[in-house]
Amino acid sequence: MELTPDDTILFSIAGFGLNATIVFTWIVMALLTGASILITRNLRPDVPPDRWRTTLETIVLTIQGQINEISARPDRRLLYFSGTLFLFIIVSNLLAIVPGWHAPTASLSTTAGLALAVLVAVPLFGIGSRGLGGYLRSYIEPNIVMLPFNIIGEASRGVSLAIRLYGNVMSGAVIAAILLSVAPFFFPVVMDMLGMLTGVIQAYIFAILATVYISSATATPEPQSGPAEQTAKEQT
Amino acid sequence: MSIDWITVAAQIANFLVLVWLLKRFLYRPILDGIDARERQITERMQEAGRIRAEAEAAEAEHQFEIARLKAGREGVLAEARKEAEQERDQILSTAREQTAREHAAREEARTDEARRFAADLELRGASALVALLRKALGDLSGETLEDRIVARAAERLPGMAADLADAAGESRKAIVTTQARLPDDLQARLKRDIRDAMPDINVQFRTDPDQSPGLGLRVGGAQLGWTADAYVNGLQDILEGARHERGQSDAA
Repeated sequence: MELTPDDTILFSIAGFGLNATIVFTWIVMALLTGASILITRNLRPDVPPDRWRTTLETIVLTIQGQINEISARPDRRLLYFSGTLFLFIIVSNLLAIVPGWHAPTASLSTTAGLALAVLVAVPLFGIGSRGLGGYLRSYIEPNIVMLPFNIIGEASRGVSLAIRLYGNVMSGAVIAAILLSVAPFFFPVVMDMLGMLTGVIQAYIFAILATVYISSATATPEPQSGPAEQTAKEQT
Repeated sequence: MSIDWITVAAQIANFLVLVWLLKRFLYRPILDGIDARERQITERMQEAGRIRAEAEAAEAEHQFEIARLKAGREGVLAEARKEAEQERDQILSTAREQTAREHAAREEARTDEARRFAADLELRGASALVALLRKALGDLSGETLEDRIVARAAERLPGMAADLADAAGESRKAIVTTQARLPDDLQARLKRDIRDAMPDINVQFRTDPDQSPGLGLRVGGAQLGWTADAYVNGLQDILEGARHERGQSDAA
């Protein structure tokens, strides 16, 4: 039994083996992009939206609403990043009910790649929002002693993201595979449903955590008021 | 649990490509469409607000116009009512005046008719009275009325001579008027009697068909008369009383 789709080589192009993770990732990408192109190809403001466009609008606006609730500075770039994370993960996980489907998110390489992307995005968004000096200063706040802890905390975020998603998705897939081999029909269905639920929750958690990390990097800390200022405020 | 770093790199690249693809084909079209629709809705709302404001303004204007017309109508009605009342009063006044005029005209006509009747009656009465006197005098004493009148005037003249002379002043002319011409013997007799009372006076005889039967004597400013007028006036008073009683019974 294969624990990761990285081990399944589906194609080989010019001596380079394309494993299931990459191929199924491309399938998810093709599905998402194709559906988007199909639904948004004839967008006109004077034409009332059909149910597919309404569904897409609802999904996008829900994601944007969640981001706006989390982030102090809502940004479209954050929507592109976190929204894509969510859509990619959820579609990958939900397609697990299709027989023969290998969820790319069941690969630690995928989750590590996504975690690395988040890990790189956090400082990039932080620098873009607060400037390089402002962002770097956040590592020595409240004082310089916290620098190593902040660095460790930043790194552990990426690791925890990668491990959490991989573990949940992979474990669901493994348990479903084991039950399919030992039980005839009923338990795998239940476990598949549980796996779908877990996949949705994990997609949400991964995207939300990524948004939270990026938002915390872009948020400008409020200046702490000293005793003199507090006294002045009390007097006023 | 192993990590294939080539796959990791490929997945990072795939993810970034997917971010770009979705940005290009999903987020931007959807968000731009939503923005465009919101703009359109905002424009429509603004247009609706503008139209509503215009409608409210038009409604206010119409209400003002209605109020103005109502007030004008009230004014016009009041004016028309006033004019109608004035016209009614005028018509009533005119009618009253006309009625009064007609009433007055009828009264006048009745009075004229009564006067004409009275005059005619008086004339007829006088004529009848004179004829009766003539006949009575002729039948009873063998004298004419003129004889008696001249005789009566001759009896009265001596007693009135002084007064007549005073009244005549410088005038030396006496004019005797009768309804019909006096016979010559009576003229001569009367001339003699007058000259007896007032010597050197020139006596002239004239006729006046409108005069009452009898004899009138004018000397300067003084005038004496022995006519049937007094009797006729008495008769007239009797007739007036009779007519008044008839008028009262008609009114009742």
